[in-house]
Amino acid sequence: MGVFVFLPLVLPLTAWPVARLAEQRLHPRTATRLLTAVAGVLAVCSTLCLGLLVIVGTAQLPGNPLPDGWSDPEVRAAVPYDEVAGRAAIPALLAVLLSCAWAAWRHARVRRRAVAALAGLPAGPVAVLPDPDPYAYALPGRHDRVVVSAGMLAGLKAAERRALFAHERAHLTGRHHRHLLVVHLAARANPFLRPLRTAVTYTAERWADEDAAIAVGSRRTVARAIGKAALMSRAPLSVTLPAFAAAGPVPRRVAALMRPAPAGRAWPSAFTAAGLAVWGAAAGATVSALSSANSAVTLFAILRAATPM
Amino acid sequence: MVDRSRGGAEPGPRRRGQGELEAQVLGVLRGAAEPVPVAWVQERLGGGLAYTTVITILTRLHAKGAVARERAGRSFVWTAVADEAGLAALRMRKVLDAETDREAVLASFVTALSPNDERLLRELLADVPEEAPGEGED
Repeated sequence: MGVFVFLPLVLPLTAWPVARLAEQRLHPRTATRLLTAVAGVLAVCSTLCLGLLVIVGTAQLPGNPLPDGWSDPEVRAAVPYDEVAGRAAIPALLAVLLSCAWAAWRHARVRRRAVAALAGLPAGPVAVLPDPDPYAYALPGRHDRVVVSAGMLAGLKAAERRALFAHERAHLTGRHHRHLLVVHLAARANPFLRPLRTAVTYTAERWADEDAAIAVGSRRTVARAIGKAALMSRAPLSVTLPAFAAAGPVPRRVAALMRPAPAGRAWPSAFTAAGLAVWGAAAGATVSALSSANSAVTLFAILRAATPM
Repeated sequence: MVDRSRGGAEPGPRRRGQGELEAQVLGVLRGAAEPVPVAWVQERLGGGLAYTTVITILTRLHAKGAVARERAGRSFVWTAVADEAGLAALRMRKVLDAETDREAVLASFVTALSPNDERLLRELLADVPEEAPGEGED
C-alpha cells in the first residue's frame, strides 16, 4: 500500500483549480453535477484511507481488540509509515465521523422544523408568510414547497416575482439540496474539499438562475430580481468573515445573467480551460479511487495472511 | 421546540402533529367573537383532547406571540392575535434565527452582501433598465 494510502488524503488539493475552472467555464448544471460527484468520490476515498491508517495504527496499540497476528513485526514491516500516521489517524477519523454525523443531523433537524413550522397552512406549492423581513427558500420534502415572505414579494414587480418562484422551483425540481448536502459532508470529511463546497453552493444557484431565465424568458428580469432581493435583505455580514476584495456570489450571478446564456450539452475538448477542468477532475477522482482501492486490497491481503485461521 | 409529553396529554383518535394542533387551536380561537376560556376552545376542538393539552397548546401559542390572554376571575380568557399564516411566519422566524449557518441547509435566494458587493451590484443594476420594453412584464 505504501504511499498510495496517503494519496487520497491530499489529492483533494487538486479540487481548488478544478473548482475555479469549472465554475467559470462550464454550464452551471454540468459544473454542479461534476463537482458534486468529484467531491463525493474524493471524500469517500479519503475517509476509507483514513480508516485503513486507523487499522494499522490501532494494531500497534497494546491491548487493542484486533487479532494479535496483525501487530506482528512482519506485518509492521509490510505496512510502512505506520509509526505516527497510524496514531494520528485515530483522532482524525473520529473527528471526521462526528463532524459528518453532526452536520447530517442538523440538516435533518432544520428540514423537519421548517416543515413543522408550515403545518396548518393550506397545502399548496407556495407558502407566503406575513413577515416584513425579505426571504425566500425552497423547502424540499414530501410536498415540495416554496416559502417566501410578504416582505420579499412587496419589493419585487410581478415579472420579478415570477423569476423568484421559477428560481426556487428549479432548486426543487433539480433536487439541488442533495448536491449541497453531499458537498457539505465532503467538506467535513476532508477540509481540502472546501473549495468544492463553495463552488457547488454557487453553481447550484447559477443553475437555478439559468432555469429561471428560460422559464420567464428574460435573463434581465432574473438579474433584476436577484439584485433587488439582495439589496433588500442586506443582512449585516458577520464579523468573522474577512472582507474579500473579490466580488461575492450575488454580483457574480447578476453579471453572469447579463451575459449570453452559457452553451449547454457538449462536453468540452481536453485542450480548452473547461476541458482541463473536466478531465482534471475526472483524473483526480480516478487516481484517488484507484489509490484507495489499491491500499484497501493490499492491507486486506496483508492482514488476512497475518490472521491465524 | 422540543416535543414533551405532558401528563394528561392524551393524543386524539388520530395522532396529530404539534404544529397542526397549534394551527387548529388558533383557528378555533379566531372563530370566537370575544375572549374565550379554555373550556370553550376544548369543546369546539373535539377529538377528545384533554383540558391540560389545550392549555399547553394555548400557552405555547402565547409564548410565540400568536394569542393574547387576560385574567378573568381565577383563570384566563384567550384571543387570537395572529392568523394561521402569521403563526407559520412566527415559527419559520424561529427556525431561521436558530440557524446561524442556515445556508448550509436551506438554499437561500440571495446571500449576504459585503459593502464591496453592494457597490458592484448597484453598478450592475444601473445597466439593467427597470422596465425593458417588451421584456419581463407579461
